[in-house]
Amino acid sequence: MSVIDFIKGLPIYDSNNFTLLSNDHGIRTSQKRASVYLPTEDAPDQAQLIVLDKRCVLLRYLTQQWDKKTLQRKREHGNDGSSNNTNNSTNGNNSKKRPRLEANELN
Amino acid sequence: MSHHYVVTAQKPTAVVACLTGNFTSPTDLNLIIARNNQVEIDLVTPEGLRPLKEININGKITVMRHFRPPDSNKDLLFILTRRFNVMILEARMVGDNITVVTKANGNVSDSVGILSEGGFIAAIDPKARVIGMCLYQGLFTIIPLDKDASELKATSLRMDELIVYDVEFLHGCLNPTVIVIHKDNDGRHVKCHEINLRDKEFMKLAWKQDNVETEATMLIPVPSPIGGVIVIGRESIVYHDGSNYHAVAPLTFRQSTINCYARVDSKGLRYLLGNMDGQLYMLFLGINETGKVPTVKDIKVEQLGEISIPECITYLDNGFLYIGSRHGDSQLVRLSSEPIDGSYVIPVENFTNLAPILDIAVVDLDRQGQGQIITCSGSFKDGSLRIIRIGIGIQEHACIDLPGIKGMWSLKVGIDDSVYENTLVLAFVGHTRILTLSGEEVEETEIPGFASDLQSFLCANVEYDQLIQVTAESVRLVKSSTKALVGEWKPEGDRSIGVVSCNSTQIVAASAREIFYIAIEDGSLVEKCRKTLAYEVACLDVTPLDEKQNKSELVAVGLWTDISAVILSLPDLETIYTEKLSGEIIPRSILMTTFEDIHYLLCALGDGSMYYFILDRTTGFLTDKKKVTLGTQPTTLRTFRSFATTNVFACSDRPTVIYSSNHKLVFSNVNLKEVNHMCSLNAQAYPDSLALATKNSVILGTIDEIQKLHIRTVPLGEGPRRIAYQEASQTFAVSTLRIDVHGRGGAKPLRNSASTQAQNITCSSNMLPKPGGGNSTAANAEVGQEIDVHNLLIIDQNTFEVLHAHQFVPPETISALMSAKLGDDPNTYYVVATSLVFPDEPEPKVGRIIIFHYHENKLTQVAETKVDGTCYALVEFNGKVLAGIGSFVRLYEWTNEKELRMECNIQNMIAALFLKAKGDFILVGDLMRSITLLQHKQMEGIFVEIARDCEPKWMRAVEILDDDTFLGCETHDNLFVCQKDSAATTDEERQLLPELARFHLGDTINVFRHGSLVMQNVGERTTPINGCVLYGTCNGAIGIVTQIPQDFYDFLHGLEERLKKIIKSVGKIDHTYYRNYQINTKVEPSEGFIDGDLIESFLDLSRDKMHEAVTGLELTLNGERKSADVEDVIKIVEDLTRMH
Repeated sequence: MSVIDFIKGLPIYDSNNFTLLSNDHGIRTSQKRASVYLPTEDAPDQAQLIVLDKRCVLLRYLTQQWDKKTLQRKREHGNDGSSNNTNNSTNGNNSKKRPRLEANELN
Repeated sequence: MSHHYVVTAQKPTAVVACLTGNFTSPTDLNLIIARNNQVEIDLVTPEGLRPLKEININGKITVMRHFRPPDSNKDLLFILTRRFNVMILEARMVGDNITVVTKANGNVSDSVGILSEGGFIAAIDPKARVIGMCLYQGLFTIIPLDKDASELKATSLRMDELIVYDVEFLHGCLNPTVIVIHKDNDGRHVKCHEINLRDKEFMKLAWKQDNVETEATMLIPVPSPIGGVIVIGRESIVYHDGSNYHAVAPLTFRQSTINCYARVDSKGLRYLLGNMDGQLYMLFLGINETGKVPTVKDIKVEQLGEISIPECITYLDNGFLYIGSRHGDSQLVRLSSEPIDGSYVIPVENFTNLAPILDIAVVDLDRQGQGQIITCSGSFKDGSLRIIRIGIGIQEHACIDLPGIKGMWSLKVGIDDSVYENTLVLAFVGHTRILTLSGEEVEETEIPGFASDLQSFLCANVEYDQLIQVTAESVRLVKSSTKALVGEWKPEGDRSIGVVSCNSTQIVAASAREIFYIAIEDGSLVEKCRKTLAYEVACLDVTPLDEKQNKSELVAVGLWTDISAVILSLPDLETIYTEKLSGEIIPRSILMTTFEDIHYLLCALGDGSMYYFILDRTTGFLTDKKKVTLGTQPTTLRTFRSFATTNVFACSDRPTVIYSSNHKLVFSNVNLKEVNHMCSLNAQAYPDSLALATKNSVILGTIDEIQKLHIRTVPLGEGPRRIAYQEASQTFAVSTLRIDVHGRGGAKPLRNSASTQAQNITCSSNMLPKPGGGNSTAANAEVGQEIDVHNLLIIDQNTFEVLHAHQFVPPETISALMSAKLGDDPNTYYVVATSLVFPDEPEPKVGRIIIFHYHENKLTQVAETKVDGTCYALVEFNGKVLAGIGSFVRLYEWTNEKELRMECNIQNMIAALFLKAKGDFILVGDLMRSITLLQHKQMEGIFVEIARDCEPKWMRAVEILDDDTFLGCETHDNLFVCQKDSAATTDEERQLLPELARFHLGDTINVFRHGSLVMQNVGERTTPINGCVLYGTCNGAIGIVTQIPQDFYDFLHGLEERLKKIIKSVGKIDHTYYRNYQINTKVEPSEGFIDGDLIESFLDLSRDKMHEAVTGLELTLNGERKSADVEDVIKIVEDLTRMH
């Protein structure tokens, strides 16, 4: 496969584009710049605000890990059967705690 | 207090990013270009790229990407700035106007993060669900996109990978999946993470590949249905999709790194790759389509040709590409299936880029009080010198090759009721030629009534639909409709006409001392009066001062012998005023004209200088005599009208346009080398144009409305680093860096460049030994290793030919350069500082200061001295050499034995990178200890530290503004001014350089130089500015810093505050926040600087917004305080814009 095959059939969006660009006088050098956009009116629609969650990444990570662990433990205990009811209920409490932990701004 | 005005004369030109998409409408194909703090929107059209708008962003753009929301048929723009501002922009067309709407904006900075080592990276999910960014080590910041939410909640996810080289989103994944190249102790690896957008965490590892290509730097995600990713390494490329794996190591990949790519087709089979050597490649994925989903079968790579060193590439349409560059001109190129000289890349258009400007010299080569800047621009193969001067540009529309033109006039022949002219008369020695303009075609024709076998002195349309032609023999009157001769006037005897001038009803001609006044009537020429003057007539003019009038009451005459300008009255030709012009140069062209209702007499002399006077129309008296130098050759003055105002064109070796602004004459250079004759031309195909005769051709063109910077390029083919100008030898010295590659027979240059093609080439023979022994690196270099070769080039100041190249033996590198006159020695020398750079040393320990003399085309080394460290800066200091060497500042004197002898020494720096001197004072810019002011005590022969700025700052450039005021730019792109307080009461206070003004410029300055772009001594200014310092930046911008008085500062500050409110910020980054002085976590408000770019945007506001901006603003005019009106402020701001 030669380079010519590579270049064959390059994508065309509008076949007219660049057709009137003459290259007879060699390479053109351009310094022209567009006019500067100077908005004096605010756009009517409100811009969305991008806000960074500033909570500490480490704490968030630890909470997540904690949740994962406790969930896992719960699953393990669940597999054990119903030997210890109190444990199960504490685990249940823990899983309920999760939304509270996340809702609080720890940072 | 200290007050300054800072303004950009040349906007940044380095391209940071570019992309193609549908922005202004679903069908418009747009090219978007990002440069430092600007975004340019272009439209792709049949005629090429058409710039639509330039948008200022209040921040330094580091990443620009685009995406298409799922329900949209248009693309949106995402921008991330250096100060962590993010924005999503949409372009909308309202009628013919573009509006740019900020769809979302915010800041994603985290006060505790450690900045990521590889710089900011951002990528957008192909389904536009989320934007991901690497900003801090160990964190991946995501912005989930949801068009219905009022708030977009960005979150930082913890990422195990610390050192990340590239991040992209994979195509065709159920959940957004990022792939990263990261490095650990074992090497570089790629890893895919799936993001859970609901819980905002990484869910699982999709797949990974340890120890991927060596020095893998770039990821190219392949679109669906193929999917997967291409990883670009140093010498090889691999395709990977988790299960399928193909690698290729193309031979054509030379010793350079691929640094950017562009996807060609939407299927993702073809990609363009660009490397740091400026080579363009095409990558092709071979596809196996037998299965259910297409899979990659192989990878092919072919070299297409050479381009500018790219920063970014984008495919436009029909085989055209845009190449954005930081190191050379950006380009529009075409891919051609027919190679030219083996290259499939055909350059079509170059877009001037000055970046990076490493050094500048400001010189006044024409000695007209107007500086021109010579910059060291570009790097590596794209290195060049750029000659930048301010002036008025001629846009050339047609050019006819015709040598030897002696005069030129445009006429309406046979079409007197038309507004357009159709004929151009050209005079040559011994004959006259007539050209007809029909449409764009130009044909030669004849006017039977004209004498075509004689040289015309003047041709014109006159009253009663007639034409006149004046030759040495006679004045001929020709009927325009019949083109036949209807009247003729001849001086008696064998006298011939020497000079002549006319308007539509009057002719004044002179033959030696005799002057004739002839009236033009219908079908005849009637001599009304004749007089004999005291001396021969050199030039004359009878232009009516009132444009509505068709006759003049005055004749202006320039005389030989007594060198005077005389005003005669009409019709009696009585002398009413005589003005002696001093000197011995005869007047060559005289002209009466009216600018802004003031009448002037302009009188140009044979040496290119011009006197101008205010002319009293009724008395003929001349007052307010002023002189200006326009060129060096005899000058001809012609009037023309452009943009409904009168202008005068001065034809000479330095063509100049003279016009009036705010009742002052402005002299503006024209960007043509030489114009001998000109006439205005308003033809149908060439409306509002000028015809300009140069030595060999006639140019038809239009003229710019305002003066602007014109840039000429002198390509070097290697990177220039320092420049110095030497008037004595009429040369520039430029230090350059060339990259040679070590082959079997030693190091060889990769390509021809300035240093290999110089008229004379010498090589430094003196090789310093490496301190501590050991071999120099050059000797035992491996084959294929790149070697930096430093050269000192001597370049002619007029032709920019390289007269001499002096090559230094690696690893000796040039670190500083200057031209200096030393001691009592009558010669002027080039002083070059070098150092030996070894990769295993933290800092060079040995270097030289060498004195060269360039004289009679020979470069001779006169002296050298060894120094123990790198000499970063050299300054001529009262006939001595002042050098910043490592942590020392040293002074060397030039002895009668032509040797450098150290006189004194001070060590109080980390590294004295920058030095500036004024009188006995020395300003030192340190690597990290801000600025220090030293004084040289001549009697004691010592340096004394006078004061220093105690705040740590990593300096980039310093300059002395005046005896007490010092300007600096530090590495976070901030400008600051420190002032010495000589009146302080305690010694401690006197030793401090308190920081009085600060400003965030937003671009890194590499060099400050005193100098001005405009003529200093012409025309008075209304704005009180003091001094002028030019600067050049990394991004190719050139700017001006000047001092202004307090009351003017207060006025401009008031205007600035109002403009901040009126002009809305795209991306909603507050202007005050942008200009805040910020170093790491320290933030201080900008003060003592006026943002000239904001002030000058006042002129582009609509009238009612201007009115809003000046309401309540007060200014002092002629000592009187009053409330400002729009006209006052326009005048002041226009005057400020005339600095550049």
